[in-house]
Amino acid sequence: MDRRRFLKKGSMGTLLSIVGPSVAGAELREARTEEPLRCAVIGFGPQGRDIAAAIEDIPEMALEAICDDYPIMLRRAQRSNPDTKRVPDYRAVLDDPAVQAVFIATPTHLHRHVAIDALAAGKHVYCEAPMAATVDDARAMAEAAASSPDQVFQVGLHLRTEPQYRSVFGFIRSGALGKPLYGKAQWHAKDSWRRPTSDPARQKAMDWRLDPELSLGMVGELGLQQIDGSNWVFAGFPTAVHGFSSRLFWNDGRTVPDTVQTVFEYEGGQRLMWDATLASSFDSAYELYYGSDATIMLREQKAWMFKEVDAPQLGWEVYARRDRFYKETGIALLANATKLDAIGTDPTADDPNQKSPLWHALKAFADNYFFGPFPPVADANLGFATTVLAVAARDAVRTGNRVTIEPSEYLP
Amino acid sequence: MTEPVVRLALDAMATRFELVLHGDDPVRLRAAGEEALREIERLEDILSFYRPAGALGRLNRSVPGVAHGLPAPLYDAVESARDCWARTGGAFDPTVGPLMRAWGMAGGTMRRPEADVLAEARSRCGFGYVRLDAASRAVAFERAGMAIDLGGIGKGFAIDEAVTVLREVGVPHALMHGGTSTVAAFGRAPDGTPWRVGVPDPRTPGTLLCTVDLDGAALSVSEPRSKGFEDDTGFHGHVIDPRSGMPTRAARLAAVRCASAAGSDAFATALLVDPSALDHPDPRNPGVDFVVVRAHPADILGRGLLPDPGKP
Repeated sequence: MDRRRFLKKGSMGTLLSIVGPSVAGAELREARTEEPLRCAVIGFGPQGRDIAAAIEDIPEMALEAICDDYPIMLRRAQRSNPDTKRVPDYRAVLDDPAVQAVFIATPTHLHRHVAIDALAAGKHVYCEAPMAATVDDARAMAEAAASSPDQVFQVGLHLRTEPQYRSVFGFIRSGALGKPLYGKAQWHAKDSWRRPTSDPARQKAMDWRLDPELSLGMVGELGLQQIDGSNWVFAGFPTAVHGFSSRLFWNDGRTVPDTVQTVFEYEGGQRLMWDATLASSFDSAYELYYGSDATIMLREQKAWMFKEVDAPQLGWEVYARRDRFYKETGIALLANATKLDAIGTDPTADDPNQKSPLWHALKAFADNYFFGPFPPVADANLGFATTVLAVAARDAVRTGNRVTIEPSEYLP
Repeated sequence: MTEPVVRLALDAMATRFELVLHGDDPVRLRAAGEEALREIERLEDILSFYRPAGALGRLNRSVPGVAHGLPAPLYDAVESARDCWARTGGAFDPTVGPLMRAWGMAGGTMRRPEADVLAEARSRCGFGYVRLDAASRAVAFERAGMAIDLGGIGKGFAIDEAVTVLREVGVPHALMHGGTSTVAAFGRAPDGTPWRVGVPDPRTPGTLLCTVDLDGAALSVSEPRSKGFEDDTGFHGHVIDPRSGMPTRAARLAAVRCASAAGSDAFATALLVDPSALDHPDPRNPGVDFVVVRAHPADILGRGLLPDPGKP
């Protein structure tokens, strides 16, 4: 199979899985080129480093440049990617004709200018989530993306492009829970949420997450991926959010909380309870969706269904793997389980070739470049809407009040 | 006044890493320590033998003669392993896996393999059959069924990288260990004295064979686990000599101090296999200090690290 046909075949599944049935009949296009997509990563903190590693793991992409204005990060790039250009100023990346796409992993409040300048320079843009730190920034970015229809603009809401999550969310939307009742999700770690520097003058900039003037706080920076999954499950955006917060552990001069609880209300009466702490790593991160027939748990790209005893039995259940969770028994939910079984691969084993949600997000971006542009499933409008939600949630947490959001506010 | 001390820990690479830092700003120290531990987690993903989707997994499934380009950190680790293999005359060899499995020493029941099984396993071992190309950072196996397991050097390699991160962000004093068997330190201990680490004496439990000062250096200590098995040809220990394919019980303990934790990690393993491994005529080996408590004959070999006064 030649590369073009391989790419074409690879894109078909991705295309259909990303955009869903509304464009399932869309005409497939030839890949625009067989040359790899030349990429630059802007911002080489932990997320930028993960993006660079994922790009190196996708054959259709080539890492052309790494940009960071902090010399220590460029030294780190020298060690991890010695053949890649290292650039301290993002404008030099945008001026570089060899760079076709930029991946923005700077602090959130810096996304706006980098993204808009990149679109103006003709680059395709992948911007990490949250897309922006303010509604004004998000609106400006969405408008710039709408004005550049021939350029890919994708937001890093990773669950939207991860096959296992897509499979389970589709399963839930098909009625697997029975009557959906509510969701519960958590993000737990023991971490100061600070970043080190040898330069005291740079410390405030490094600790932007803890700056209440700049940051969307824990709910915006840590919770948005999980909350976006809940929006998918409950088929809409929240109408209101309540927030609670405390600073209980980190007495290191910060003024922002280290422990947060939130409740998101949906139009159908369901609620998502999302909590986070920087003081305990117990049980890490997961999502639970409760329904009258079953409860589904998602964690680390795996999922299990816990059925009510009176729920209707599904034919495939007899063949499914069951895992014990204390006194409950979970039925493992696996994308393509029957196909795996048919080709002789044990569908109950961990997938040795499983890629991260970030990898799938970048692969979707690359497919869009080669075969699009078609509307990304995580497009600028979704980036805008989730920014609106993150700002509202941050404000609810900060004030302890219930913040309502009108449907029209989610539109740029 | 004693400076604040910050302690952190991480479970990774099937062991526990601990970090002790001190300086004038505990908030910055904590952030630096977290960054160093994140680097270890990142390298665990890259170096692990048990992540088949990664670059090392793909290399280990590769067809002989076909070169695989590796990410720079992984290539650097493989190159370090090759360096240690060469400097120990092959006593350290990260391709020894097939022999470990043939003897049932990589899980399963330990047993003496049949001669043909042993010969087949030996044919798939040996770093001499691994080709490295630095220009393209590519690696190829010359024989089918070969695989590289960086378990004997990965922990030290990760500690070296973590120490680099700590120094880059200005941490003045730090000690880090992985599983207590490999430790690296720079600067001074909180009381102003050198970071000082004790090496246990396997002959007299509860006592120290020697104490080792570390500043900009690493120390690794290896002891063979007491595992082994007995058959009609005698007792077979748990350590395999990659060169002969046979178990060895040459040493009861080996300790190595050198500039890099990757080096000390690998060298300590090599000395358990062959206590004279660092007498190999490599001009770089004089920079390595070591002590070995040999089993047969029961004596001590050393260079640079010597038993404390009063020890036999």
